[in-house]
Amino acid sequence: MRVVLADDSVLLREGLARLLQEAGTEVVAAVGDGPSLVRAVTEHRPDVAVVDVRMPPTHTDEGLRAAVEARQSAPGTAVLVLSQYVEVAYADELLADGAGGVGYLLKDRVADVDTFLTALEDVVGGGTVLDPQVVAQLFARRRADDPVRRLTAREREVLGLIAEGHSNTAIARTLVVTPGAVEKHTQHIFAKLGLAQDEDQHRRVMATLAYLRG
Amino acid sequence: MTTDTLVLPPLAPSTPLPRRRGWFRQLGVDTGYVLASFPVAIAAFVVVITGLTLGIGLLIVWVGVAVLAAALLAARGFATLERAWLPAVLRRPVPEPAYRRPEGSRVRRLLTPLRDPQTWLDALHAIVRFPFAIFSFVVTVAFWSVALGGLTYGAWDWALPDASRSSDNQDLLELVGLQSTAGRRIALYTVLGIVFALLVPVVVRAVAFLQAQVGRGLLTSRAATQAQLERATEGRNAAVAAEAVALRRLERDIHDGPQQRLVRLGMDLSRAQRQLDREPDAARATLGEAAGLARETLEELRALSRGIAPPVLADRGLAAALAALAARSPVPVELAVDLPAERLAPVTENTAYFVVSEALANVAKHSGASSCRVEVTCREGRLHVLVEDDGTGGAVLAPGHGLSGLTDRLFAVDGQLAVDSPRGGPTRLTGTLPCA
Repeated sequence: MRVVLADDSVLLREGLARLLQEAGTEVVAAVGDGPSLVRAVTEHRPDVAVVDVRMPPTHTDEGLRAAVEARQSAPGTAVLVLSQYVEVAYADELLADGAGGVGYLLKDRVADVDTFLTALEDVVGGGTVLDPQVVAQLFARRRADDPVRRLTAREREVLGLIAEGHSNTAIARTLVVTPGAVEKHTQHIFAKLGLAQDEDQHRRVMATLAYLRG
Repeated sequence: MTTDTLVLPPLAPSTPLPRRRGWFRQLGVDTGYVLASFPVAIAAFVVVITGLTLGIGLLIVWVGVAVLAAALLAARGFATLERAWLPAVLRRPVPEPAYRRPEGSRVRRLLTPLRDPQTWLDALHAIVRFPFAIFSFVVTVAFWSVALGGLTYGAWDWALPDASRSSDNQDLLELVGLQSTAGRRIALYTVLGIVFALLVPVVVRAVAFLQAQVGRGLLTSRAATQAQLERATEGRNAAVAAEAVALRRLERDIHDGPQQRLVRLGMDLSRAQRQLDREPDAARATLGEAAGLARETLEELRALSRGIAPPVLADRGLAAALAALAARSPVPVELAVDLPAERLAPVTENTAYFVVSEALANVAKHSGASSCRVEVTCREGRLHVLVEDDGTGGAVLAPGHGLSGLTDRLFAVDGQLAVDSPRGGPTRLTGTLPCA
């Protein structure tokens, strides 16, 4: 797996590079700002760009905009955005093109190396990975008359995990139940929310998110 | 009176005060004011009374509104003229009221003067001042006439018909039962002239001042309240702005500092975890780095919390905190502190501390100075903060710059900041704030 890294903090860039190299990925470029990210992606055509949201010169959402731009010039490049804070608005922008292969995680998640690497693989495989906090914020935005409110606690939990990009098998493992039970939950959820049932992981997530974003 | 001139003027007064004049010049100003405002007062009275009565009479047809508005606008014109004279007579600046600006539809614009309380006060002034203007004009003219006439009587006594020779023409001496001769007349009238000449400055000053007070009360006291409110609002806005800037900077400092280090620490620890089984030596090195990171994070957090609320400032007061600040400064600091024994208000201490702290940070970062002097003294209820370096100068109070944050901060506590920093140096930063 070939990776381009973008983070303005040398400390984090190096830490991340070492971590990724030790995990067997190839870090082809590590840059410190938005424009360099776009250039590096165009030049190296990596499998995935791991991008910090806040970078110079504006120190606002530079990384996010650069990532969106990089995906336009090099379609098919997966993007995993890392941030110290999670904002639903950022997730919305990232998911706007609907092409999949995007992820948005809190930086802290990197410390759990296995989960981080799994997320990276999911994103490279065209899936969508969202931080549990983003999903939580999406849930928090619900209206009063929302059908999501008709879901049972367990079903909400499953919906959250779907939105985070997990497959039924992974959800079953997380909740320590049989895949059949998860299957039944998902059918109930999709029925209650009026979403089309389908097995493709990315489309499943997108449908869920589209629903949650209202 | 001499004590007044001995008092040092404040370092940077917000509005320059008219200087004290000699009594002779003041007499000229007062006389000019009384004489000039008399015809103006008549004109104002006539125009405003006519305009108001006509306007009110015509209110039943809409023309009355326009007439009223015109009368009020005229009153405003006369009031503006009066306000221009007031500072010279009152010997202090007077605030300008902010009239409502006409806006919106034509009718609304026409109605603007009618909706502005100050224009009604202006109209009231045009009416109320009239008797005062007559009184002060009469008194002034009378006193000047007697004084000038009496003093010069000796020169033109010959030109008058001799009262002692005519039965239906009596002069003052004859009225009090004395014989009227040229010598006696000249003596009496000259003495009278001298007495009145001595009284003129006092009396004219009194009537001019009385009339000016009427103007001040009706024309500027409302503006003074407005200005006070505005200052309070500005101060509050500045406080809010300074707070917002400080919070944003704090957020940035946390984001760029401890937060990054902690994330990296997490990464390194999980790397070490994975390395433990396969390559214990690498794991040991990684853990060593991680320990270093933890130490640095702690150090950064300590520096940050010192920046938010320095513990020594809260515990030991401004002098001790400044000493600590000076000791930490990379550029050698000569510190001179002269403060009252009792503690100052917390907001004063905080503000003064941050002014010095920010200034010293600037000195260290930008000035290239080799030494620096900090002076903090409390004089006449104001705290004076001076930070001076021998660096290259060129510091500016541009918006968004650290120094302009200080301006806001000082403004919020009714203080002021001045920076004198010519290219080539040296830089001299002076802040004053109340320390009662």
